[in-house]
Amino acid sequence: MQIKILKFLRSMTFGMVLLGLILICSFAGSLIGQGNEPAWYVQTYPGWHGPLLALGLDDVFHSWYFICLTVLLCLNLTLCSLIRIRRVVNTAKNAVAHAANRKTAVALSPEGLTKLKTYLEVHHFRKTEFETAVVYSKNGIGWYGSFLTHLAILLTVLFGAAALYLPTVTDQTCMPGEALTMGDGTVIAVDSFHIEDGAGNLDYASKIHVTLPDGRDSGVQEIRVNHPLAFGGYKIYQQTYGTAGAVTVRNGETGGEDRFLLTEMCFLSLDSVNGVWFEALYPGYLRDEAGNFTLITQTSGKYNNPVYQILLASDGVYTPVMAFPGETVSVAGLDFTFENPVEYPGLRIKKTPSVVNGLLCAAFCLMIVGLWFCFFQTPAIVTVREDGYCVSGPKPQNMVIELSALLETEIEKEEKKC
Amino acid sequence: MLNVLFFTPLVLFFAAVVLEFCGMLFRKDQVARIAWWLFLAGSGCLSAYLVARGITAGRIPLSNQFEFASAFAWGVAVMLIVLQRRTQAEWIRAVAMPMVFLILSYAALQPREITELMPALKSAWFGLHIGSAVFSYASFVLAGCAGVRYLTLSRKAGVENQLMQIDFLCYRLVALGFLLLTVVILSGAIWAEQAWSAFWTWDPKETWALITWILYAIYLHLRLRRKLSSKVMAWIVVIAVPVVLFTFVGVNTLLPGLHSYG
Repeated sequence: MQIKILKFLRSMTFGMVLLGLILICSFAGSLIGQGNEPAWYVQTYPGWHGPLLALGLDDVFHSWYFICLTVLLCLNLTLCSLIRIRRVVNTAKNAVAHAANRKTAVALSPEGLTKLKTYLEVHHFRKTEFETAVVYSKNGIGWYGSFLTHLAILLTVLFGAAALYLPTVTDQTCMPGEALTMGDGTVIAVDSFHIEDGAGNLDYASKIHVTLPDGRDSGVQEIRVNHPLAFGGYKIYQQTYGTAGAVTVRNGETGGEDRFLLTEMCFLSLDSVNGVWFEALYPGYLRDEAGNFTLITQTSGKYNNPVYQILLASDGVYTPVMAFPGETVSVAGLDFTFENPVEYPGLRIKKTPSVVNGLLCAAFCLMIVGLWFCFFQTPAIVTVREDGYCVSGPKPQNMVIELSALLETEIEKEEKKC
Repeated sequence: MLNVLFFTPLVLFFAAVVLEFCGMLFRKDQVARIAWWLFLAGSGCLSAYLVARGITAGRIPLSNQFEFASAFAWGVAVMLIVLQRRTQAEWIRAVAMPMVFLILSYAALQPREITELMPALKSAWFGLHIGSAVFSYASFVLAGCAGVRYLTLSRKAGVENQLMQIDFLCYRLVALGFLLLTVVILSGAIWAEQAWSAFWTWDPKETWALITWILYAIYLHLRLRRKLSSKVMAWIVVIAVPVVLFTFVGVNTLLPGLHSYG
């Protein structure tokens, strides 16, 4: 019974059923929006949302059944690969010797045999002579193709899962000139950030440097899309950007000065009563003849015509005011000078064991090599005797067709004579 | 000038398709030969167009639907020509030539202006990832064409040898396409890690590339088992073509995601 179960688990049928089920899940996952709130499904799929949510189709690729299918596929590949390895090595070693014992399948005249031998030699078949037959073989490496491919798929799934779940990923914003300190003491400092406008295509770039706890420093490097900075197990991506207001506050009495970056609503005051409420920064505005403002709330890239929306708080009276860069507003002895907005980057900081990425890429390469061996280095063995020949190998039918297709004029006529 | 260079192959391919069918219908080899020469001329013009566009744009012309569709048509045409030279399989022309024309017609419906490559596409992986996709899809489309030929021929008697050859050609084309699709997926994964920080994000394009890959993996395993007839296998490669085309066109237009710019 156990052997039967084991045989089933490593069988090609089971593997294909699993692939089919993964295909169906992927199909569903690509058509149904993934990872949204339940309310979204109620609105988008009225009448269907109940079974859809019950079946976990809102997050197919993280559902228990999808993970089970992946685990079972790994099991199938492991059993299939492990059990196959000895047989593959033995077959590759002994294939030529076994082929020498095969009987003639296609009879040929002496002239036909000569032509066949010439063809095989021209096509770089290796000749091994035995007592009763001459065996021509080619692409011995191809015996390992299928094994390597399956092993590589297994490794890809395993290392892929590791590359997906092992890294710690954090998204953080950082003002130019400031730095982020990570849990292990690594410091990521943003020197500058700028937006390049290439014919409407905005490219965001930050100049950053990373200092590891042991004092090693990456030096200043520019990061942008497709060009993250990898250093000391960290990989830092230019992910997003934001725009912050900037205001310099000067105390008229003491002459003290401070600069603030405004990213969210805040109250700037000395006595918590009188001061400036920063409400919002807008990228642009339109002003009609009557002096009414229409604010532009969204833009991509730079803020071309920025305006600050503030409230002046003075003895409990709040006066809404629009302030422009370069303008100074005075309240209760404080001078607020509004400046041009500052752009800052949003960084994705990924800490990952770099060995995982390396192993995954090695598995990718192995898969390509395995498939190449499998499809384009197919072992071919032709046993030639005095009365004819026979073809053997992992896909002998393919070789038979290839031979007949390539040698139709040379060999098939000879066969007819026989 | 570029427009002329683009529409010339379209006209030549159309004429080649019409003549090919006339040649088949009236059994005139001479007409079919002219059709083939027109097709070769069209392929040459399309090659010249893609080179000229690449020089004008200063990059590989594979950055949007129009450029990919044009390159896809070119890929099918080039592979058809190579196939003709290597296997003398003239029968595949009648199915493959209209496919080239249809794909190029789809390209003609897309906006043709040359735009600067967007920053996300400026990567060393761009050529390998999308170039492999062109030839992978082309292989699958040609395999589908061979499958159609198999199904039409299978009704006749006494053509077993030819059927075996077509079946084998289907397999070889699927094998080539499968290998290239694997390159597409794996190079895309490495590129995604560079650009978006994750090897795989279940983006619709990624998911459909995986669906296509699984579909052809099942085909290859079924073929290995030899439990299904060659006719069923031919049906599978024919049915798989719409899946390939959906991965190319449908996903970009119907399922928005990270690849929507393509």
